[in-house]
Amino acid sequence: MSITVGIPQALLYYKYYPLWEGFLGGLGLEVVTSPATNRRILTAGVEAADNEICLPVKVFYGHVLSLKEKVDLLFIPRVVSVEEDAYTCPKFLGLPDMIRAVGDMPEVLDPIFNFRLGSRRVSRDVYSFAKRFTKHPAKVWRAWRHGVDEQRRYVAKLESGWTPVEVLSGKAPPEAKGDMTIGVVGHPYNIHDEYVSMNLVKRLRKMGARVVTSDMLPHRVVEAEANRLPKKLFWTYEKEIVGSAFYWMRSGTVDGMIYMLSFACGPDSLIQVLLEQEAKREGAPALMPLVIDEHSGEAGLVTRVEAFVDMLAWRLN
Amino acid sequence: MPVTWPHLGNLEIVLKDLITAAGQPYILPPKNTARTLQLGLRHSPEFACLPLKITIGNFIEALEAGADTLIMAGGIGPCRFGYYAQVQRAILNDLGYDFEMIVLEPPAMGWKLFVDTLKRIAPGKSLWEIAKAIKLAFRKGRAIDAVEREVLKYRAYERKKGATTKAYRAALNVLDEALFEKDAIDEAKEEALGLVYGVEKDVDRPVLKMGIVGEFYLLLEPFVNFDVEEYLGHSGVSIERSVYVSDWISPGNNNIIGGISEEEIKRAAAPYLNHFVGGEGQATVGHTVIYAGHGFDGVMQLFPFTCMPDTIAKSILPRVGRDFDIPILSLVIDEQTGKAGLITRLEAFLDLLWSRRMQREKRLLSV
Amino acid sequence: MRKANTTGIHLGIDVGSVSTNLVALGEDEEVLASVYLRTQGQPIAAVQRGLIELEAQLEDVPLEVGSVGTTGSARYLSGVIVGADIVKNEITAHAVAASFVVPEVRTVLEIGGQDSKVILLKQGVVVDFAMNTVCAAGTGSFLDHQAARLGIPIEDFGSHALKSSSACQIAGRCSVFAESDMIHKQQMGYRVEDIIYGLCQALVRNYLNNLAKGKEIVAPVVFQGGVAANAGMKRSFEDALKTEVIVPKHYHVMGAIGAALLAKDSIGNGETKFKGFGASSIDYRTSSFNCKGCANNCEIVKIEVEGTVLARWGGRCGKWEVQEVEEEAAV
Repeated sequence: MSITVGIPQALLYYKYYPLWEGFLGGLGLEVVTSPATNRRILTAGVEAADNEICLPVKVFYGHVLSLKEKVDLLFIPRVVSVEEDAYTCPKFLGLPDMIRAVGDMPEVLDPIFNFRLGSRRVSRDVYSFAKRFTKHPAKVWRAWRHGVDEQRRYVAKLESGWTPVEVLSGKAPPEAKGDMTIGVVGHPYNIHDEYVSMNLVKRLRKMGARVVTSDMLPHRVVEAEANRLPKKLFWTYEKEIVGSAFYWMRSGTVDGMIYMLSFACGPDSLIQVLLEQEAKREGAPALMPLVIDEHSGEAGLVTRVEAFVDMLAWRLN
Repeated sequence: MPVTWPHLGNLEIVLKDLITAAGQPYILPPKNTARTLQLGLRHSPEFACLPLKITIGNFIEALEAGADTLIMAGGIGPCRFGYYAQVQRAILNDLGYDFEMIVLEPPAMGWKLFVDTLKRIAPGKSLWEIAKAIKLAFRKGRAIDAVEREVLKYRAYERKKGATTKAYRAALNVLDEALFEKDAIDEAKEEALGLVYGVEKDVDRPVLKMGIVGEFYLLLEPFVNFDVEEYLGHSGVSIERSVYVSDWISPGNNNIIGGISEEEIKRAAAPYLNHFVGGEGQATVGHTVIYAGHGFDGVMQLFPFTCMPDTIAKSILPRVGRDFDIPILSLVIDEQTGKAGLITRLEAFLDLLWSRRMQREKRLLSV
Repeated sequence: MRKANTTGIHLGIDVGSVSTNLVALGEDEEVLASVYLRTQGQPIAAVQRGLIELEAQLEDVPLEVGSVGTTGSARYLSGVIVGADIVKNEITAHAVAASFVVPEVRTVLEIGGQDSKVILLKQGVVVDFAMNTVCAAGTGSFLDHQAARLGIPIEDFGSHALKSSSACQIAGRCSVFAESDMIHKQQMGYRVEDIIYGLCQALVRNYLNNLAKGKEIVAPVVFQGGVAANAGMKRSFEDALKTEVIVPKHYHVMGAIGAALLAKDSIGNGETKFKGFGASSIDYRTSSFNCKGCANNCEIVKIEVEGTVLARWGGRCGKWEVQEVEEEAAV
């Protein structure tokens, strides 16, 4: 029987699942993912995680708990950095340790990905992680290449307008209709977790809007836009948020933007100021912040989103 | 162009000298008060951390008082602190203030930028003059911290309540007034330490030994921590603290004041948090492990609500507490925190520590 | 180690922002009298009224007062008024009282009018605790409010919950959301008892999530504070913890009992500082002024009797309190 390794369907799952699945599969491990977020997962996460922590990390705890009886190993890489001169989020740096502190967990695999130290170093770290599963460097290399290829295909699909959920489930997005386009700004793990976002994307589409999300823009566009800030941001995923919002503010390709952020999100608390100031400029499309936490009620969210869409439609006519 | 900067504990004593040496006039922000906090709250994003909110308040009050050049530290992440200055500039611009902001980024962002910034702060001064002034500033900063460290340790033993605080204020005054010269600073340090050591002590009094860990601003700025260290000292607690201002400013010096090197901290934290997470996250865990291993009665963690690094540490500390059998009190502070609630928790925590101590002594006696 | 020769009765006074409780313990630590009052924002008046009622209840008891202790958020103020021998925080007081009633207690759940606590003990010693003062969800005030909204006397709230056969799900993580969810469920036609029981379950979940996170709840569990009167809450705790929950007879005055026990323990052979039940007729004058010492302009509260300052507090810097200590030392 092969060794099973669990990947929680939360946080960076939405960014790198194809890479991880391809790589771990290539090493001969059987990858098991947790189900999509549901109430039981959320409740378990809220119960296990520290009160002060942000919602997506609480959700992550819930997914880990739903996997823990089902797998031999848990894959919780320490994704320190995915590019030079930038970090991810402090919480991703401490994630494996936080999960271990819960106690009574399967072994946690926590390879380090730190591109600040250069891609040579990353290759070395990848290899030293993988060598417990195979003695053949070539096999590691093939597995990694396989993952990287999968990841490339994944990103290309996202850039063509598919959401992560659609790519990973193989279901094409519904035909775009309507003459209103809404940009949804925010972390993929909030926007695309349908339970957490209360189906925001589907809901907007149902109201007759075309939807684009931050992760559908190519990295270089986002990077160039984000670098208009006087000081380069040191969080990669915040660059994606700022970059996509700035791009849409300038390009005129969206009629309005919804900025979904989780309560107590550290980086977003600062970014929000910069975005809202930029959105105040003449001619910029409207930006509506939508703060979510575990107390958020569906009714409140629906009302706000409906009002926003109605207002945009009214303005367009 | 009067220069200003936000409050951070005793830092201003040194910065006043440094800015004067740079040939610049300065205006200190008015002392932290309820108004400072209110201004900060009104103009800051809701779930930014408390230090950002209060330092915004400092800047507004200093601008009102006539300052026009704001000095702020920067950083390379991943803690939010490194981006404060950018957000503060945006907020203050939006409020319509006319000012220049000088952000002192760490050398890790490039030596050229670092040197250029220093030259902007001290126009017309040579690099040699600047370097000399900075060296002196560290000398004075460490003298101040050395005094503070003794105060934290020995306040619990004072015979007359308040005597240590009085001596401490006098000592800070001596250091504040000392000329910005090597010998003068060294002399002032001796005199200041003498004042603190001179406080009459009851050395036989049983006291609790507590370690204080957490986010640096909350630890160093008495306004936001409700002067918790003084309260603890008066309640018979001898304190070791994880962070001092001069240690925090010079990460390369291996914590001369605190006395525990970066290497030791990392090694101690490793079984629980095996990577830095920005801010003081790893240091909070590492210090807790070290204090626990040295027979401290308890550890208190202080940090602002939504602080990322220390929230990570808080998630991990219960495991440290279980492994070492040491009580840890994590206090999360935000603008709604009241002194009364804080004191009630502390009183109960001290009761808990005393009864553990008594039980242990009873056990020792019965063996 | 209680001194065998302590004589007289021992008073405990617990003054919180919502309720003021007084008890008198006899020499064998039995409850001779107890008073439960609303503080109504006037702690001094509440203590004075409480003393009158307590004295009336003690009419037939021939003993003198041997000691007095105060606790609760107004413990220092009430300590000055009555002349307390000991002033203790409410966490310690509740723990002492619970372990007196149930000596082997391991967990104390306390929900009062305005705050809630969980206290863990081992061999009679507090080893961990948590206290919630900010969030109103699950406190007595919130339940009062909901009972009023449903048109049910708060005394019957618990028995209604016991009638429920299937609780309805209420989002209870925040009182604001719990309320709106309840209204929603009511409009959908759920039975009142199922809503009430659902609310109790939600509040218990909320309490365990907020306060007891990561803490191991070990039996015996004692549930005290005003809300312990609510049988629905007791049942919900038992459901959630899967263990029996003990509600002590004097559940609503446990803080005061703790204060009395602590006072008795601390007094030894000493003299009590108790100012007598006459304290209730003294005209305490409280006033406040803004200190001009710095820009904080702290509000300093002052208590006086016939021109003599009894106590002063409220400053951030502690200057006013310290001055008093120095004045005392000078005498």
